[in-house]
Amino acid sequence: MPESLLYGTEVVLNGLMAGVLYALVALGFVLIYKASGIFNYAQGVLSLFAAMTLVGIMNGQIPFAHLINAALGTEIHHFGWHINALVAILLTMVVMVGVAWCVQRFVFRHLIGQEPIILFMATIGLAYFLEGLGDIMWGSDIKKLDVGLPQGGSLWIEENTQWLGFGNENFYGFFLDRLDLIATVIAALLVIALVAVSQYTKHGRAMRAVADDHQAALSVGISLNFIWVFVWSIAGFVALVAGIIWGAKSGVQFSLSLIALKALPVLMLGGFTSIPGAIIGGLIIGVGEKLFEFTVGPLVGGATENWFAYVLALIFLVFRPQGLMGEKIIERV
Amino acid sequence: MNMMSDDGWVTEDGRTIGGVMLDLKNITLRFGGVVAIKDISFNIRQGEIRAIIGPNGAGKSSMLNVISGFYRPQEGEVWFEGQKRREIQPYEVARKGIARTFQNIALFEGMSVLGNIMTGRLTHMKAGLAAQALWWGKAQKEETKNREFVEHIIDFLEIQSIRKTPVGRLPYGLKKRVELARALAAEPKLLLLDEPMAGMNVEEKEDMCRFILDVNDEFGTTIALIEHDMGVVMDLSDRVVVMDYGKKIGDGTPDEIRNNQEVIDAYLGVAHD
Amino acid sequence: MEGDKAQAALTSIPALLARNVAQYGHRLAMREKEFGIWQSWNWTQVAEEIRHLALGFLSLGVKEGQHIAIIGRNRPMHYWSMVAAQMVRAVPVPIYQDSVAEEMAYVLEHCGASYVVCGDQEQVDKVIEVSESTGLHFDVVYTDKRGMRRYDHSHLNALEEVMEQGAAAITGLHEELDRRIASIGYDDICVMLYTSGTTGRPKGVVLSNRNIIETSKRTAEFDHLTHREEILAYLPMAWVGDFIFSVGQAFWTGFCVNCPENGETMMTDLREIGPTYYFAPPRIFETLLTNVQIRMEDAGPLKRWMFKRALAHARKVGPQLLDGKSVGLGDRMAYGVWNFLIYGPLKDAIGFSRVRVGYTAGEAIGPEIFAFYRSLGINLKQLYGQTEASVFIAQQPDGMVRDDTVGVPSPGVEIRIDDVSGEVFYRSDGVFVKYYKNPESTASTKDPEGWVATGDAGFIEQATGHLRIIDRAKDVGKLADGRMFAPKFVENKLKFYPEILEAVVFGKDRDYCTAFLNIDLTAVGNWAERNNIAYASYQELAGHPLVLETLQKHVAEVNESVARDEKLNGCTIQRFLVLHKELDADDGEMTRTRKVRRVVIADKYADLITALYDGSTSVYTETEVTYEDGRKGSIKATLEIRDLEPVAMPSMAAE
Repeated sequence: MPESLLYGTEVVLNGLMAGVLYALVALGFVLIYKASGIFNYAQGVLSLFAAMTLVGIMNGQIPFAHLINAALGTEIHHFGWHINALVAILLTMVVMVGVAWCVQRFVFRHLIGQEPIILFMATIGLAYFLEGLGDIMWGSDIKKLDVGLPQGGSLWIEENTQWLGFGNENFYGFFLDRLDLIATVIAALLVIALVAVSQYTKHGRAMRAVADDHQAALSVGISLNFIWVFVWSIAGFVALVAGIIWGAKSGVQFSLSLIALKALPVLMLGGFTSIPGAIIGGLIIGVGEKLFEFTVGPLVGGATENWFAYVLALIFLVFRPQGLMGEKIIERV
Repeated sequence: MNMMSDDGWVTEDGRTIGGVMLDLKNITLRFGGVVAIKDISFNIRQGEIRAIIGPNGAGKSSMLNVISGFYRPQEGEVWFEGQKRREIQPYEVARKGIARTFQNIALFEGMSVLGNIMTGRLTHMKAGLAAQALWWGKAQKEETKNREFVEHIIDFLEIQSIRKTPVGRLPYGLKKRVELARALAAEPKLLLLDEPMAGMNVEEKEDMCRFILDVNDEFGTTIALIEHDMGVVMDLSDRVVVMDYGKKIGDGTPDEIRNNQEVIDAYLGVAHD
Repeated sequence: MEGDKAQAALTSIPALLARNVAQYGHRLAMREKEFGIWQSWNWTQVAEEIRHLALGFLSLGVKEGQHIAIIGRNRPMHYWSMVAAQMVRAVPVPIYQDSVAEEMAYVLEHCGASYVVCGDQEQVDKVIEVSESTGLHFDVVYTDKRGMRRYDHSHLNALEEVMEQGAAAITGLHEELDRRIASIGYDDICVMLYTSGTTGRPKGVVLSNRNIIETSKRTAEFDHLTHREEILAYLPMAWVGDFIFSVGQAFWTGFCVNCPENGETMMTDLREIGPTYYFAPPRIFETLLTNVQIRMEDAGPLKRWMFKRALAHARKVGPQLLDGKSVGLGDRMAYGVWNFLIYGPLKDAIGFSRVRVGYTAGEAIGPEIFAFYRSLGINLKQLYGQTEASVFIAQQPDGMVRDDTVGVPSPGVEIRIDDVSGEVFYRSDGVFVKYYKNPESTASTKDPEGWVATGDAGFIEQATGHLRIIDRAKDVGKLADGRMFAPKFVENKLKFYPEILEAVVFGKDRDYCTAFLNIDLTAVGNWAERNNIAYASYQELAGHPLVLETLQKHVAEVNESVARDEKLNGCTIQRFLVLHKELDADDGEMTRTRKVRRVVIADKYADLITALYDGSTSVYTETEVTYEDGRKGSIKATLEIRDLEPVAMPSMAAE
């Protein structure tokens, strides 16, 4: 195989792995959007909050320590224990369900029947509130998240793909990051699980029903509140997983909340209401931006990854406003 | 009908009408200053077809919405199956076995006919989330059982040919039938139909009448319905409540209603619509 | 194959059933879709069910020679009832289930049925109504229990319970049944079918076991039908074709008969089953093609372009490929590619991907429609038949298919054309025994030598030996100027347009031809929706100026093509109108098999015909209609009459 093709393949593989993560984040959006018509601006912050909480719990940090210290003049910071990562993840999940319940109970329950733009504004408010809450609870310093995920390149893959170079001395096999690989597997599993839940379970069916018609949903015995809390919990769970993966990669810090911005073009591409759309959109953008950077990037001075996805999505918006898989928008006269 | 007693009776066509299933006592419903329902009491008996009629704006739909929990009356009590009902949400009412259809059709437009009717089975699904997602033993059995039940309803309402059609594409008459199917799928004890025949042509109305009678006959479902078409109401129902301007002005068998002077004055005699 | 001895004993449907159990016992004999699932029965199970039914009939007290009417849609139970009736030596009489009570009363009274098998409550109600109005007494058995609970059951039984009674029968009944089965003769009555008749009262055509079995045997060989065929039984059970296909040929060859879920699910069921042997009247093929065309018009530009290209290529080489003629390699390959991309998926979508032998009959099929299916590689052929012939008179052999003939005489059939009238006569061992209780009609239709008059005018092509049917003998006539007038020829051309559902052409003894048109609500409604044309009713849509404009264009095109025909160029349409209601069997305007009844229409719409010939530009009319439940109402309308430019002579037509 020629060298460029080998590198190209490596780029595509890396792109696919990134794509699965995009898809996962995008799914968080799609689920909430489908079930409640809310475009959840706070999805990214939810990830940050989840990751901060996880780190805090693992390290036995005392929540609101600064606040308590300032108010009471104490000097407490830690409970003095470390909690196993798995247990901490479960505990964090409980916290996220709590957050979901609060969000529904104190925010959206009062906004039933409001314009989408109002709901959207509410999520912006929610985003800043959660960001602030996270800082107050756990402190705003950059934290290291280590839940035991492997780091570094996978030697095994490198060694076992070297032969593909057919004697080419410059080719040492594909370089794939082990964390990325694990992340891809986890994300893929989660995507499958989400699809299964929303397509084949009673709750999934109820979610789709609620998204379609509130009155009708009530009349068949579906509790709107329950479904919304359920959906926000799932979104919280997705956020937690995304937070763990990104946090393990580059530390838990504010920029983590920006991963949501990566999901936006995915949604535009795939359609806001389509689960398969989010998956395919994620993969297309993941591969597309890596390939674009690899091929065109050097000619225009690089850093195309920052804008490529948006330009692609924009082109799509012009020709297919409903996205790849979205429901066709037909205004019946 | 001198054979009527408190415990019920047998109708001329041989159906058994039982004791009181739903009892509404002194219901008053206000929207701001407007009184939609004024101190109305009536009951619905086990196994009967009960009609609520009256001119437009008489408060019929509001009455149905009170029964199904969509509206909460300011005064009065709702007794269901011998128990006083506390203030509950519409979905809880549905879970207690009261299903309904809507005047303006509320279907899940994005789903197929089958998908819509399956939602009617939601309250009968018990398997755990994981089991359902993985299509495991009990969940699979449950899904099969529910699907089977739904297929019988589809057969019953003769909508086999549109099973896989998205409801958005169906004509009005069929949508009404699908809505009925979804309500039936819940195996309700009490079925509330809000103008089941509104906007239908003669043939569709006849079909719908036959379905309503058959539902009552085959499944023994108690039915309360609102209808404009007087002919239909008199043919279908065992007992009729007549409302006018939020008040009850008549209650009895179709024959009694036909001969009730107040009803004739308020409704039958005047060309409302 | 079985030996001659066994063959010789196969002289009744019950005998064929016994043979099938022995030979194909575990192969599927029937399927029916119920509750969304295909239920199936093998031959052994079918035989068992039928035996129980027959025993049940015995326990009900059915006597030899009594008539058992069967009214219902295509369901295994109903087919079994017919065979069970034969077993107890009663005569099964299937009746059109959409007959109104009046028609049903005539048939039930005429055949003197003692027992009636009803599909559901609706049919039971009709029979009870007939019983009340005529004073006749019937023992009624019903299949579908729904809504039946409160009926007086003194002379009413559920078929299921009759079968249970049969299954639990005491030994005496078994012996009685075996005795009756053994006594069935080859020339005994197999079935009695009422012809819908384009004129007059229906006649009961008596067909013997010989008629049915000989015909099934010969025609099954003609098309090499085997026990591996699958058919969909969806045409009315009272129609002779369904009896031949779903009983005669099915029992002879042992193939599997599939019953649809209900009347409206036919298209879905067709796709799911994918029959190998298929029959449909031209109307169904028209509807299917209309649907395909509508779908294509809704598709994106790329798909539309591909579809057009593919069809153009199919028209070019498809028929030749099907007939096994030589085709260039390039064309052959292109056909293969299109087959993969377009024809295959299309055939699959309409349920024709496995059809090996397809027939159409009943009416002439539009050449364009016929060519469409042939070009896709579907072996669609034409046959010509009648109830009196046990269907088959002429049919097209594989590889010798044309749109303008009905093929060569079926095996064992002799055909003769009357020198004077041009009417077609035939003779075969499929020829009916008699019209029941109607010796005059029997005598006037069948002469002592066994020749039967078809009532159709036609001729045999010298070169090929193929039979060509021109029209109903009595419909073919002349225009006032002496030119030949054959309405169906023009009507078929008109009906090819998806917008036109039905056409009736007038012109016999007149100066020129005129036409009534019926719009196809599906196609025109779809078109209206796409063009944002609002309409409140069928009537409003039918009278819409833009609709009239479109139809006028179609009529003009047809005129051009008619004008090119040497024999029939007098049949161009000069004036037409679009009817305000659909022609309907309930109003007597069509037969139950959906053939137009010209006389009825000409009489009922005499005012409209007058207007077509007196030069007026519009006409007001009131029409009586019958609703499904038998009530009557009336429709008022003012119809616009459109004139067409006379077609220029062919020599001047070049533009």
